[in-house]
Amino acid sequence: MELVVALAINGLVWGLIVALIALGLSIIFGLLDIINVAHGDFFMVGTVLGLTIAGTTGFWIALVLVPLLGLMLGVLIERFVIRPTINAASLTIVTTFGLSMILQESVRAAFGAQPRRMAAPIEGTIPLFGIDYDIYRIFAAAFSAMCIAGFFLFMSRTTLGTWMRAVRHDRETATALGIPVQRVCAFTFGLGTALALLGGAIAAPITTVEFRTGVDILPVSFMAVVIGGLGNAKGTVAAAVLLAVLEGLVSSIADPTTARISSLAVMSIALLVRPHGLFAGATR
Amino acid sequence: MTSIRIRTVSAIAIAALLALTPLALPMFGATFWINVIAEILIWSLLAMSVNLLFGYVGLLSFGQALYFGFGMYGAAIGITQFGLGLWGAMLLGVTAATAMAAVAGAFAVRLTWHYFAIITVVFSLIFYFTAMSAKSLTGGDDGLSFTAPPILAAAGLTLTDKTTQFYFIFLICLACYLGMALLVSSPLGMRFAAVRDNENRASLIGINVYLTRWLAFVIAGFIAGIAGALFALFGRYASASYMFYHVSGEAVVWTIVGGAGTLMGPLVGTALLILFREVMSGLWENYLIAVGAGVILVVMFAPRGVVGSLNSLTLRRKASEEAPVVSPAELAKVE
Repeated sequence: MELVVALAINGLVWGLIVALIALGLSIIFGLLDIINVAHGDFFMVGTVLGLTIAGTTGFWIALVLVPLLGLMLGVLIERFVIRPTINAASLTIVTTFGLSMILQESVRAAFGAQPRRMAAPIEGTIPLFGIDYDIYRIFAAAFSAMCIAGFFLFMSRTTLGTWMRAVRHDRETATALGIPVQRVCAFTFGLGTALALLGGAIAAPITTVEFRTGVDILPVSFMAVVIGGLGNAKGTVAAAVLLAVLEGLVSSIADPTTARISSLAVMSIALLVRPHGLFAGATR
Repeated sequence: MTSIRIRTVSAIAIAALLALTPLALPMFGATFWINVIAEILIWSLLAMSVNLLFGYVGLLSFGQALYFGFGMYGAAIGITQFGLGLWGAMLLGVTAATAMAAVAGAFAVRLTWHYFAIITVVFSLIFYFTAMSAKSLTGGDDGLSFTAPPILAAAGLTLTDKTTQFYFIFLICLACYLGMALLVSSPLGMRFAAVRDNENRASLIGINVYLTRWLAFVIAGFIAGIAGALFALFGRYASASYMFYHVSGEAVVWTIVGGAGTLMGPLVGTALLILFREVMSGLWENYLIAVGAGVILVVMFAPRGVVGSLNSLTLRRKASEEAPVVSPAELAKVE
């Protein structure tokens, strides 16, 4: 029983972090229609920067700096790599694939190929539902949840968030109303990138840090976005958490690979039964 | 010359050049490149399979490595476990891939665009993880190594001879390209194009959209299966890592860089990227940075891919000679 609880909570923690990353993908993919194959590598860059910056200035400053760097990186990438091909979704696959190669190889060159681990910035455990649980993991889950809530507030309460939704809804009308569409697109990509890097910084102490980790996270975030319903941010969060908890629960009775396979099977059934997302119709 | 004739002549020229490589390359002491070109031919079939779905039917699959993997493991397991000969093993691999595509396709083609792309990835990941964990059968990450049986024992034809191996691969690939050329100009190919260009109109004129897409999916699985079986025989090796979604993604990139919806696009894209990688890897340790920058630059300056852009060049020339403007239908077709 303790094992089941521990694995379910692990799933929840990981699910919230994945939700943050998938939200970033959701606005890039859902609002800009860019198939961002490099999104997993944005996460990876976040873990590497998190570890590196935390090593010099401490973890808490890294947690603030990494998403800001992500925003800058995203805006730069949008300007020089994405914008020239933004009109064709199929071309963005190629540009972001190229980007993914550049990011992975640059990190390998600068950081080394050896996987590293980072010490948790908060040590110790607390009793939780009858088990001793790492405090840092609880913090990671709470902090991710807070960031997700902040994201929703931003999208619904600020002018910029409203503009982002308006551009998604009708680009031409948005232009006619005087919304700086190009800048909003650049910011959207930057914000999406920042969320992935932030997810990386939060996850760095509980995962291995190396140039390849993005490859595993990429399909998971795409699945959360699509199963939650394209452009449906709340659905994305729910799907990410559900899938991770499910995988955690199954891995308490089977090996991790079987757990992964079963969550993939659930996903394909969900896609076939509700092709436009699990929560289609619930919000629109 | 009309643009169609230019295309036919260049395709024949490429085939003739390829046919001569094992004779020409040793003269320059470059026998190493014979195998590189053979490998390019094999991978170009995987790109062809992506191209059939994306370029001709409008379905973006990120999971073609699954059928490549079935072809690869079918051939490898046929040899290691059942002691089949070369042709029997190939047949087993290709049959396994086609059957898998028939089953997966029946579900997958119910969806389109983003949803189709995701379900193909999900299917391929399921089998990737299965192959990784079924170590006793597939060898998992380490893979299966074996000795390839002879092509034709009576004539003494074996894959151990580089030249024989090259022609074995070349002839099978040539047959695939000819088959593909026939397919896209056949009535079925016309239906593919109709479904790609406008699904609603296609179904209004009586085309069964679901069946058309399913047929394309099965044929694409068949081609990927041939690629996988050839790859296993070429490397005398099969490994689950070739079933990962990254391999499918590379095939998508090769196709788009070469030119989706063109016959030679997959070959040109695959050749450019693999050759560039081979050359750069000898010059710079972090050559993948250059490869990544290279693909970005290609699609920025040639958004229709290399072959697509060359085609529109010849089209424009034809247009300036014969008609005042390029027909909008021709232009619209490319995207």
